Amino acid sequence: MDDKKSPAPDARDAAQAADLLVTVATTLNERLALTAEELARSQVLLREASGELMTAFRGAADRLVAAQKDVETSAVPKNVEYEVVLDHLYRAVQHLQSHDLVNQLIDAQKLRVDKMREKLGEAISLSKPPVNDPAQAEQWIQRSRAMLDCIVAGIQQIDDDARHPRSDKKHAGSVDLF
Amino acid sequence: MKTILAVDDSATMREMVAFVLESAGYRVIEAEDGAQGLDRATTTSCDLVITDQNMPNMDGLTLVRSLRELRDYKNVPILLLTTESSDAMKAQGRAAGATGWLVKPFDPATLLEVVNKVLR
Repeated sequence: MDDKKSPAPDARDAAQAADLLVTVATTLNERLALTAEELARSQVLLREASGELMTAFRGAADRLVAAQKDVETSAVPKNVEYEVVLDHLYRAVQHLQSHDLVNQLIDAQKLRVDKMREKLGEAISLSKPPVNDPAQAEQWIQRSRAMLDCIVAGIQQIDDDARHPRSDKKHAGSVDLF
Repeated sequence: MKTILAVDDSATMREMVAFVLESAGYRVIEAEDGAQGLDRATTTSCDLVITDQNMPNMDGLTLVRSLRELRDYKNVPILLLTTESSDAMKAQGRAAGATGWLVKPFDPATLLEVVNKVLR
């Protein structure tokens, strides 16, 4: 019996397991590529909307701050409308902050997805070179282990960047004075 | 006119904080990270510092500790304005010498209330 042409059952099983791992990593990588694309598209839309809102906000805010300075430097009393407009702008401040935070969250998710895709790509590349002796189960097992180690490293480093923003609706706006 | 230093790596957040404070009659100077904030604080006398926590180059807690080492900033109020809301982080802020901790997104009226209170 020629071992190279007809590997032992355990070597066949190990080879199939390694193939399955490659299929899983490849499929996951393709899905993550789609996710990255959708995140990027969402961010473009959000940035455009935020940009327009910021331009409108700036126009109103600059005039209001200028009016505030006029009131401070002269005896002219505040226009009744001043407080109303200020109130509207204050409300806009809260929503614009949310836009900004969502933007940062998307950045953080994109970074996570990119890091994971990089590691999955590395894992897939480990499956490319032919094994020295396909009849040896240990060779396939070593390959699978190396791929899994690479994927696990990707999962572990996913939260390495501590600068990503937290989203905490429960405590948003809370104040603690020490 | 009191001068407030606003430190945040997000230009939008700096702009929001500056608008709210300027609309209440404060002068605001800005910095985009802790290192620049420390630099601004040493070149301009500030009555209050409001800083984000998670920033490149130097984070908010390091900025607080660095400012507290300066004679001029021993007693100047410093507020952390951040998305971080865990008790552990707040405890670190307190230990570093921060005056208070506000969680984003902030309510403009509340921010002004706190600023007026710590500047009194």
